[in-house]
Amino acid sequence: MQRVTLENLTDYARHVLDMAVSNADSYPVTSTVRLPGLNLTVHAGHGPLADAVEHAFVRAPDSQIPSEECRIFVGHPGIGAVPEPAAWGHEHFTPQSFASKLADAGLRGSYFYDLDFWQFYDPRRRVGAQLMRSADSFPPWEPGAPLRAFLHWEYAARGMRLAHAGTLGIDGRGILLAGAGGSGKSGTVVAGLLNGLDSVGDDYVLADIAGGVAAYPLFATLKQDPKGFRRLGLQHRLKSQGPLNWQGKHQFLLENIAVQTTPARLDIVALLVPSIGGGGASSIMPVSRKDAMIALAPSGIAQMPGERESGFRFFSELTRLLPCYRLSLGTQPEEIASTISEFLARGNS
Amino acid sequence: MRHCDVYAVASKDIVFESFDGEAVVLDLSTGKYFGFSDSGSRIWHALSSGVSAQALAGQSAGGATISMAELEGFISRLLEYGLLAPLADTPAQPVSADRLADLAQTREPIRVEVHDDLADPIHEVEEPQGWPAVKHTS
Repeated sequence: MQRVTLENLTDYARHVLDMAVSNADSYPVTSTVRLPGLNLTVHAGHGPLADAVEHAFVRAPDSQIPSEECRIFVGHPGIGAVPEPAAWGHEHFTPQSFASKLADAGLRGSYFYDLDFWQFYDPRRRVGAQLMRSADSFPPWEPGAPLRAFLHWEYAARGMRLAHAGTLGIDGRGILLAGAGGSGKSGTVVAGLLNGLDSVGDDYVLADIAGGVAAYPLFATLKQDPKGFRRLGLQHRLKSQGPLNWQGKHQFLLENIAVQTTPARLDIVALLVPSIGGGGASSIMPVSRKDAMIALAPSGIAQMPGERESGFRFFSELTRLLPCYRLSLGTQPEEIASTISEFLARGNS
Repeated sequence: MRHCDVYAVASKDIVFESFDGEAVVLDLSTGKYFGFSDSGSRIWHALSSGVSAQALAGQSAGGATISMAELEGFISRLLEYGLLAPLADTPAQPVSADRLADLAQTREPIRVEVHDDLADPIHEVEEPQGWPAVKHTS
């Protein structure tokens, strides 16, 4: 098996990209998804990732800003002459040095160690290649937010960013919810959706800070652990429930529970850091921008390969543009949604 | 007294931003974050700009006078975290009256907190040999 080191990484990246493109006619599935400012064409084999591309995205309206064309090839042996993925050699490295080496050549990339799962992107040509051992050999979180690394690289090249945050809004104005796993972020988004608020997504949303802060939907996926699922009454609302995901959580889509159609954009007016309260009513109190930044940025940067410094600068600027609050969560979904609705209606954000 | 009391940011992987006077530092190579109190932020900025530790000892910060022992403890942590590196045979930069006045107005003790448990709370990964891989519970 071929071994990749920092020395031959750039050559390998170019080889994988070239092989992907040269086998373009061999991929059995081709899908085009319209995303904010981007027409994404995905060439793939049959399998769970091709299915995810069909269902996991929120499609942007035709009226949205002009689009660039981007092509991603999701390949594995068995599709044309797509080769076996190489493995990383024994050389010492860090993810930062990996990203820097590729960036020096104008490329982006990541590698998932367990599965020899490679992703390379050429932002100049807007061509990406994902190379796997087989159709189902991918990290378990991929179907929930398919191809997010490629979207991260493409939007980062335009000065935008995939933020690891939830969103809620009314009439086009909204909040970002930032926090680590277990902080109540996802439960808050679902509580809001069930009670008439809008959202452009949980987990990952596209953030832009040109002319104020705006959030756009990319992925339709929502998740809840079984306890939150019961607390929110989702077992009565969702007619069909698939198997729990790799984290032991229920996974479903925005359209399954939202009262309204997913808006194409929310103008973000505040950054909220949720925390599980002591059982009383929900409350919203100011929090320092430093604490809000530490709630927002780390996971958003760590879960996106490369671009760490530009991400740090981006999230710093975003945090400075917004008033920041701590959202202490009550236990009743209606009351949580009402607290956020009143906060947005007061306009004190 | 240390042999060297002039320092600089340890490497180009150490990046920082200020939020209403409070600094957040990210080590790009490790993904670790560091949050400073208001007084810690001012001292971090002064030290990383080449102001000597000696010039800061005895000044007011956080409602108290900065002792050399307290300052050395703080600097030791910054060295241990890889945020600062000593500069040998380098003349110190002068500390301005404005910087000292700003330091004197701080209200919190000199403090830096490490946030190294936030790297990937969703995906629960660890990094064998530096690469992310699914964390297996034993």
